[in-house]
Amino acid sequence: MTWLSPMLGIVAASIAVPTLVILYFLKLRRRDVEISTTLLWKKSIQDLQANAPFQRLRRNILLLLQLLALGAALTALAQPQIRSAMATGQKHLILIDRSASMNATDGAAGSRAERVSRLEAAKAEAIRLVDSLREPGIFDQVGGGEGDQAMVIAFDTTAKVLQSFTGDKALLRSAIRAIEPSDSPSSIDEAIRLALAQAPRDVVIETRPDGTESRYERPPKPVGTIHIYSDGRLPDVGRVDAGREEDMRFHSIGTAEATNIGITSLRAGRAFDNPSELSIFVGLQTTERSPRTVDVELRLNGEVASIRPVELPSATIEETGERKGRMAPGVGGTVFRLERPEGAIVAVRVSAPATDELSTDNAAFLVAPPAKRLSVAVVTRGNLFLSAALENLPLARLDTLTPEQFEQARADGKATVYDVVVLDGYLPTTPKDAATPLPAGRYLVLGAVPGTPAGLVDKGKLGPAVMVDWSKTHPALRGISLDALNIGASRPVEIPPTSAATVLAAADNGPAIVELTTPEARAIVVGFDVAESDWPFDVSFVVFMAQAVEHLGDDGAGVAQSVQPGGVYAGRLPRGSAEVRVRLPDGATAPAGDPAPDGTVVFGPLQRVGVYQMSWRGEPGPSDGKSGDRAVRPFAANLLDAAESDIGAVGTLELARQRVSAEADSRGKTVRSLWPWLLLAALGVLLLEWFIYNRKVQV
Amino acid sequence: MIRTPNLTRPKSLEDLLDPPLIAKIARLDYTSKKIFAGKLKGERRSKKRGESVEFADHRPYVEGDDLRHIDWNIFGRLDRLFLKLFLEEEDLALHVVMDCSASADCGQPNKFRFMQRLAMALGYIGLVNLNRVTVSAMGGAIGSDEAAGARGGAGEAGLGSDATSPGRSLTPSVLAAVRDLRGRRRTHDLARFLCSLRPAAAVPFTECCRRVALARRGKGVMVVMSDFFIKEGYETGLRLLVGRGYDLFLIQVLSPQELEPDIAGDLRLRDIEDGDQAEVTISAPLLKRYKANLAAYCEQLREFCARREIGLLTVRSDMAIDVLILDYLRKRGILR
Repeated sequence: MTWLSPMLGIVAASIAVPTLVILYFLKLRRRDVEISTTLLWKKSIQDLQANAPFQRLRRNILLLLQLLALGAALTALAQPQIRSAMATGQKHLILIDRSASMNATDGAAGSRAERVSRLEAAKAEAIRLVDSLREPGIFDQVGGGEGDQAMVIAFDTTAKVLQSFTGDKALLRSAIRAIEPSDSPSSIDEAIRLALAQAPRDVVIETRPDGTESRYERPPKPVGTIHIYSDGRLPDVGRVDAGREEDMRFHSIGTAEATNIGITSLRAGRAFDNPSELSIFVGLQTTERSPRTVDVELRLNGEVASIRPVELPSATIEETGERKGRMAPGVGGTVFRLERPEGAIVAVRVSAPATDELSTDNAAFLVAPPAKRLSVAVVTRGNLFLSAALENLPLARLDTLTPEQFEQARADGKATVYDVVVLDGYLPTTPKDAATPLPAGRYLVLGAVPGTPAGLVDKGKLGPAVMVDWSKTHPALRGISLDALNIGASRPVEIPPTSAATVLAAADNGPAIVELTTPEARAIVVGFDVAESDWPFDVSFVVFMAQAVEHLGDDGAGVAQSVQPGGVYAGRLPRGSAEVRVRLPDGATAPAGDPAPDGTVVFGPLQRVGVYQMSWRGEPGPSDGKSGDRAVRPFAANLLDAAESDIGAVGTLELARQRVSAEADSRGKTVRSLWPWLLLAALGVLLLEWFIYNRKVQV
Repeated sequence: MIRTPNLTRPKSLEDLLDPPLIAKIARLDYTSKKIFAGKLKGERRSKKRGESVEFADHRPYVEGDDLRHIDWNIFGRLDRLFLKLFLEEEDLALHVVMDCSASADCGQPNKFRFMQRLAMALGYIGLVNLNRVTVSAMGGAIGSDEAAGARGGAGEAGLGSDATSPGRSLTPSVLAAVRDLRGRRRTHDLARFLCSLRPAAAVPFTECCRRVALARRGKGVMVVMSDFFIKEGYETGLRLLVGRGYDLFLIQVLSPQELEPDIAGDLRLRDIEDGDQAEVTISAPLLKRYKANLAAYCEQLREFCARREIGLLTVRSDMAIDVLILDYLRKRGILR
């Protein structure tokens, strides 16, 4: 029992009760009535007074009843509330998972007839929590009391505050209802960080006797009760670093037995040697406990191109390792190989059984670019290895230029025909006040270091070095090993903090291969002179050259352009593009904003899976289509996340420093305001009082 | 209970006694359980064998009997002397005593008016049957004009000191009376007297009874009408009236409001006679107690009467006069 406005009740009682009693002490004004004789009446009064020892009490029963009614009304004024122990916290943070796995339709436990998504169930449960929040009293404007407050955060890969702390239940409910499902993978880390950032902070300013002031911040207090409404499929939950004192409540939504078959990977590629052959790799995963054969359907531009049955093994429980005891989904896959030089929008659909709870990952999309050949210029004063490495690539054009020829071509404006320029020990001249180290374009720089501004710091030629680390996932270095590389004359660079450069490979004395991205130019810089190393004799050099040229020549419409929902699409449009718009999978159109000077355009974050189509006014890129007077470039968003597709709900969240189990009784009890009942009781007592008064007066 | 509002006093015989009632009660006559010896020969059979024409019995002659009453026919047949006995018809004194205290002037219907009409009806029966009718009003005041007329008609009125003093519109008296009326033609005199009565404030009941007792003559039936709510007590007064050859009959007239009080709230009750005040808050227990007290009071009166062979009838003032007379009084043996 809590009182919302006890002071008001006490003040009102201290006025009303004495008033009522004083009214009773006032002498009764009696009505004069002449009667035939007072003989019997006097006797009756005497009899009553003599016979009824409780007569005094009986006379005062009306006063007692009135006091009772007044007491009930005054208690109602103080607004008592009964509420569950659950809602004792002052502040609640409602974190609702809206990731792809929350689209699973096992929200309502048990009833398959009405399929409610997990997100809907989570929202309903969160609204029940909101309903159970302690409300501020009606008279709190006077009394200064406060009700519970809550804030609403929805998260998938990113977290978003939908409603900051408020006690207004209508706002909270509408914020919760406004949560839209997304097809993004889930990441709770950011949501928890966002929640913890709401912790109240005390800044203490201390003034010492000598007049100096010192400011320090006290450690943040616990932010309140954090309610997580999720199915627990949160891959980064182990990274969540919430303090032990934080009160975390996990409301597990969905069932652990939910099964799902989904596409977890989809990739298209063309072979270097035969670009007209398109290979489409499809990875599948099932959480069913029995093996199953599913049909995988491939559509190109909406037309069925192939259907292939894929056998999926049953999910197994892992017996060893870190994930011991957990379900390991059964995985399978297939590859479609097609002779298709032109580009296509690839849609892969898996025929899921009726028990499949999540439909988001049953389809995946891909934009396969047309087979493309690049135009490459090699600017060199003569380098046998370069020509030899590039000669055999399926290029549209390979020109070998001297620096003078290249400068001439630049001056004539003919240099833009080259997709990639390989600069061997040479840097194009730039104006002295240029903001970028390289002119606009894409470059593979060998044996030179583009300096400041915004470039790299050349540390000069040093002695021999060996490679110690390199990125194995970068497209330019994918699949190659630099173990055996010996550099005769290393030329490490230093990356200033302001530079937009990333290290692709590091030698023992510093970064050796760097990718440099400026607003206008993109370059892969190999600082050392490859002629003074044994790299040209290694097969990895040829592969690197091919991949680097292909990577640099990729203008954003490449095969890798599949975005996960929650991520952003970043592409590069030809210069002069304007009025960029994106058609969403559901047919709506959204503006994408103007592209940057180098043509980069960013759109997102993407919410749903499907094929997006970006269109702009201007020239189409080499691999883009044209629709009317607008250039068109499709791109796809796919879930393709094995963790999200594994949808069985989890009962426990293993945080970094805390282990949160799902609440057994996750239903909050509603706060019950007692004042309406008290007023009703007051009314009842008044009725009783009136009845007794009438009974006393009449026969 | 409460003083009757907007009361219209009866002004003439017609107000007191309507013709249908006259038709109903004209055949009635008084009866008495006691033996009466009237002074005048009336229409009443006396237990005393007398000289009327109605034969009653024979008895053997004893010395000293009046020879005129010997039945000579029987002597001729049986050769023995028998006296022929006749029922003697004699008159009966009817004394109606009314309580003219202010307390009687209450109720709805008005108790006093009820008593006036009842007195008139009883008196009329008496007059028609050639009884000697006396009507006394205890404490009644007599309006001056009517008083003069009543005196003129009745010959005498009022024993009270102020009763005869002229020049006052309302003359209170201890006892006003019209005496020894006889015969149907005195009906109007009786009516005039009754119409002239006005309730006075307080009545010394015992004193009045003493005067009534002293003033009565002969033997007969005495009907006392009152509510018998007498603070000084009715016992002494009634004891004075009992005996001396009078058949005493009490009619206790209570208003419906006295039986079932219809007052409510916080009240200061004021006695209409002596101004005594009682502060009451009407409540269910109080009303219950009041009714119990009333019942006990009436029961006490009844017991008092039963012990002294006094007839008692408690009536409500809203009772029809003809029902009262034809039913109740007949059953109680006061009329036949």
